[in-house]
Amino acid sequence: MPANRTSSLVAREGLGGPYFLLTFRHPETAREARPGQFVMIKAGVSAEPPLRRPFSILEASPERETFSLFVKAIGPGSKALTALSVGDEAQCLGPLGRPFDPPPDGAEALMIGGGYGVAPFSFLGGELLRDGRKARLFYGGRTTADLPLLVRLRAQGLDVVPATEDGTTGVSGRVTVPLEAHLDKGEGPSRLYACGPEAMMHAVARIAARRGLEAQVSLDPWMGCGVGTCLGCVVKVQRAEDPRWKYKCACTEGPVFDASCVVWPGESVSHASTARKGDREAKPSEARP
Amino acid sequence: MSLAVDLAGIKLKNPLLAASGTFGYGVEYEKILDLSKLGGVVSKGLYMKPRDGAPTPRIAETPSGLLNAIGLQGVGIHAFVRDVVPRMRRHDTALLVNVCGDTVDEYAEVARVCDDTPGIAGLEINISCPNVKQGGMAFGGDPKMTHAVVAAVRGATKLPVIPKLSPNVADITVFARAAEEAGADALSCINTLLGLAIDVEARRPRLGFGTGGLSGPAIRPIAVRMAWQAARAVKIPIVGIGGISTAEDALEFLIAGCRAVQVGTANFVDPTLYERVLDGIASYLERHSLSDIGQVVGTLEYPGQAKDADKGGEG
Repeated sequence: MPANRTSSLVAREGLGGPYFLLTFRHPETAREARPGQFVMIKAGVSAEPPLRRPFSILEASPERETFSLFVKAIGPGSKALTALSVGDEAQCLGPLGRPFDPPPDGAEALMIGGGYGVAPFSFLGGELLRDGRKARLFYGGRTTADLPLLVRLRAQGLDVVPATEDGTTGVSGRVTVPLEAHLDKGEGPSRLYACGPEAMMHAVARIAARRGLEAQVSLDPWMGCGVGTCLGCVVKVQRAEDPRWKYKCACTEGPVFDASCVVWPGESVSHASTARKGDREAKPSEARP
Repeated sequence: MSLAVDLAGIKLKNPLLAASGTFGYGVEYEKILDLSKLGGVVSKGLYMKPRDGAPTPRIAETPSGLLNAIGLQGVGIHAFVRDVVPRMRRHDTALLVNVCGDTVDEYAEVARVCDDTPGIAGLEINISCPNVKQGGMAFGGDPKMTHAVVAAVRGATKLPVIPKLSPNVADITVFARAAEEAGADALSCINTLLGLAIDVEARRPRLGFGTGGLSGPAIRPIAVRMAWQAARAVKIPIVGIGGISTAEDALEFLIAGCRAVQVGTANFVDPTLYERVLDGIASYLERHSLSDIGQVVGTLEYPGQAKDADKGGEG
């Protein structure tokens, strides 16, 4: 059950540039969080910026009653949060949202994290490894500095395949390049999990649709409340059984959605409904409401 | 000490209500806070039928404020009555329905459904939503239409009728009087202020609908001024709304003449603020040797005006 409480910052680690690892004390989130869930959090109680921000949970420690966030300081909310000192307080509601589903028996989890979107895959990958499941992480960024968690994720025991658009670390190009190369090897059943920029998740959704794979994406629209009351964070979703799309709250019915159900910007219908019509891929050229 | 309020016959244990559109249907918060701490909850706006609402993005943060164009997405009155009202009846708090309509008849129809539903304490009439193409502000921006909607709802229900007025007018007292004449039992003042935020890189509005409604601390002085003007113009009680997140904020509205207040955007920032605000109001009463919240209402000493100004105003 989500709890709303004041949370003190217990550890703050700069990871270079705008990237930080922040650890907060919040017993309920520490105890109950599942990979893919998030917290709504805001530094202090000042009027600026007004809203809390959603952040995916990077890891949770029930023993220490803490959870950690991987934060890129880019806007006023994330900057205020990363400016906190150890002992300072934040207002935090969590854990919230629908977590990732584990892969079916025998299937390998292929996680695709873009930039700070890699956050939930430390948590998911860690749990899968503990359960003896196969898990691989494709970790993409523009340049090496955008992969500040690489060493840490590898130290966790995760099989990480990095990709940078400038080629300074790992595969040169977008993160979907090594993903497709891996899928081409045909190493058995797999399920895809993606979190990152919308274009990246959309690309993963297309790859999954083309190859007939299941994929789950963690969406990140602007959120007001985190509990389904403001209806600010809705996304267009069309499940196979639905005659037309519906707005669903990313906070309560997501943030994790089946990629085939998401009606991506520029498309008028989801992969689920096109698949139902016997079409494997949506046709953006026909995508006019 | 008593914080209880009689709002047009609705018994509130305290003057704090959750504002429409910022608290869902109430039930979303039942696991996060004790709903019996609230004087009341005003539901998200409800039409006869479910609605999709406005295109995304729907919210944008602005200085000390929130610009939104949700477009009254909702489940419709029938699903609300079937699924929500029985659950909300388990909580000791007043449940008010925010009534919407594309036509005058639809407002009355929604009101009739509510009239037949035990567990609904009153109706707030939404004639001020800036984010729909029909109804909403179109009714709240014309005193004749305001009168027509309120009269139609009045004729359809025995429940207290509380029109929610728009601030997007030159003189709110004209609308306050029109609503009072049409049979309103109280007035909610105010809804959001029409605003526009622009993404300068894309040269497009930041909201999918285009314009939106501004709420939050940014609008509080405007809201206090308008609630104060309305309170002086009519005899029926006023419910103050606009940027309340602390006891002091709430007290501003009470002193300005409001019988009760609603907390809106602050619910998103901290849904558990009610206890803190009530504690603050109680300690204020104590500090000022007052025993009843009603003793604060309308006590503004405004320059050049008598303390207990003629509540009837010039009407």
